[in-house]
Amino acid sequence: MTAPAMAAPAKATSLIEPDARTRRRNASERRFRLLGLSAVGVGLLALVILLTSVLGNGLSAFRQTWITIPVTLDAAVLDKQGNRNPDEMKKVTTLGYGKLVQQALLDALVEKGISTGDLTPKEVMALLSKEAPADLRDAVLADPSLVGQTIAFPAFATSRIDGYFKGRVTRESAERDANISPAQLDLADRMAEAGLIETRFNMGFLTRPDASELRPEAAGLGVAILGSAYMMIVVLVLSLPIGVAASIYLEELAPKNRWTDLIEINIANLAAVPSIVYGILALALFINILGLPQSAPLVGGLVLTLMTLPTIIIATRASLKAVPPSIRDAALGVGASKMQAIFHHVLPLAMPGILTGTILGLARALGESAPLLLIGMVAFVRDFPGAPPQGFLDPAAALPVQVYSWTQRADPAFVERASGAIIVLLAFLMAMNALAIILRRRFERRW
Amino acid sequence: MNDMRLTERVVTETAKMTARGVQVHYGTNHALKDVDVDILDKTVTAFIGPSGCGKSTFLRCLNRMNDTVASARVTGRIEMDGQDIYDPRVDPVQLRAKVGMVFQKPNPFPKSIYDNVAYGPKIHGLSRNKAELDEIVETSLKKAALWNEVKDRLTAPGTGLSGGQQQRLCIARAVATSPEVLLMDEPCSALDPIATAQVEELIDELRAQFSVVIVTHSMQQAARVSQRTAFFHLGHLVEYGETGHIFTNPSDPRTEAYITGRIG
Repeated sequence: MTAPAMAAPAKATSLIEPDARTRRRNASERRFRLLGLSAVGVGLLALVILLTSVLGNGLSAFRQTWITIPVTLDAAVLDKQGNRNPDEMKKVTTLGYGKLVQQALLDALVEKGISTGDLTPKEVMALLSKEAPADLRDAVLADPSLVGQTIAFPAFATSRIDGYFKGRVTRESAERDANISPAQLDLADRMAEAGLIETRFNMGFLTRPDASELRPEAAGLGVAILGSAYMMIVVLVLSLPIGVAASIYLEELAPKNRWTDLIEINIANLAAVPSIVYGILALALFINILGLPQSAPLVGGLVLTLMTLPTIIIATRASLKAVPPSIRDAALGVGASKMQAIFHHVLPLAMPGILTGTILGLARALGESAPLLLIGMVAFVRDFPGAPPQGFLDPAAALPVQVYSWTQRADPAFVERASGAIIVLLAFLMAMNALAIILRRRFERRW
Repeated sequence: MNDMRLTERVVTETAKMTARGVQVHYGTNHALKDVDVDILDKTVTAFIGPSGCGKSTFLRCLNRMNDTVASARVTGRIEMDGQDIYDPRVDPVQLRAKVGMVFQKPNPFPKSIYDNVAYGPKIHGLSRNKAELDEIVETSLKKAALWNEVKDRLTAPGTGLSGGQQQRLCIARAVATSPEVLLMDEPCSALDPIATAQVEELIDELRAQFSVVIVTHSMQQAARVSQRTAFFHLGHLVEYGETGHIFTNPSDPRTEAYITGRIG
């Protein structure tokens, strides 16, 4: 046997010097990495722009300008009978309180030695929110013993004055504004110097109901937050058991045939149906056929349940599928029934996934506005819904719809409040996502 | 001492389970063709054969685990103590309490060691109180030769044990419901040689209390632990008889070809 001839010596290659082919490959890898990095960068940039815009516009909504004046609550005006009976005192309208407030304001200016210049008393009074007399009346009716006393009454400044102290309104814009004049702004400056005007945190933004177009300073999210909370309760109570039961049936018990395939495809499709279509369905079914009231959190919750169910079912089925079949075999092998195998072993293992899916579904439902518009939740609601269960049928607003209706309004002060409402909504969404993460961690730790 | 007892033990010839003309179809696939087997009481029966020959399929017929496979269809007659286990009145749940099963891959529940063993007795109501349950858990773990290793950490997760320990835990779990037949589907295929030896020793001890049916790929294992061996090939039961007979003097040429390594 002859030794095999040495193969022709390969072209000399160095490990130090990469060849052209390797260089090309590395270059394309680098290009792809750069592409991915820039994609992430664009996403982050968009997020930063969104957050700065929302926070920049909206944070000021949490602060409000107040004009605090001593008001003497004259018993002769407010309670002619003198027996402090709120039912009788209700006969005095906000008009009566308005005169009282106006007098108090003028007196306060005189006392502080602030000149009103050429302004008429009516123009001076225009510094105060139109809501002020109503607020004073509410305070007196809530506590009739105030009558006869002199109280320090913090009244909302009108939105233009508020805007002036927040930098939104300037003397140039006031020149062109029918609602405010530079002379009024001068007066406001003098009052601020005298300590009558101050800007501070406004809890009312979270607790007060919506207010009319002319009183943006008094508008709050109270009804919307409560309405959204009621709806989330309805969604959670309905969609979690229904969704989990449906998923368990489809995944574990149902025979695999054409019908279950059809159902499966339809559920996947339902998850992609535009939400407004659910609104039309709810309008037809719940309001027109079943006769449920409009603007009610119950109806809103039902629509959002319909909308959330496919999401929850898909998430639940995915997490049931992810439980290893060996666990089912083990349970059946020791003589557990199908139900026992599911409830003792499969479901606990699938729980983190189910909870995450449910909370993300809820978060989506919380931010949904389109279907709620169709069932009348865009209505102007000033009365708080009652305590459950009646509260579920009372008219209410919802956070995303409140954002929508505030952006529709003419007064620029509502832009600030709409952004503020978005901040509140985002805070709720982040809280829910955090909860999802915490729950998942917690349940996963239980091996 | 142990050896003495082994020789003293009476090997019964009574059949615990009998299978006659068992056929299994998975959809259009004819997986098992006309199998007749008698599983003897207090005997280790090994099923050997190449992959896909139907031995696991047949094993899963014996406790109706094939019911969970939607496409599986079982015909023929399998009796346990003279009762047809495929009778429509039979609840597979009760059957599986009497016919325990250990799977190829150790599959302890993701719960504590104690809960793993106590689960079967709990769902079958085998204990009246906690003390009885504790006793069942202890004896089961002792039977599975695991007690000494885990007695101080019964609340530790069963999934935290080593592979061999996990498999013995699964055996303890199956033993806890006091089965009459124990089915083992390649119980040692995921274990190292030392763990395998422990499990094999265990199988021999368990034979004193009930029938053990073991599916194995290892002919040495079949020869070591079983008294009876069945050789399956392409869905047919080729040969069934005394283990010694099968390995030393097979009557079918296919059996001989398999045990000498020419097919498989």
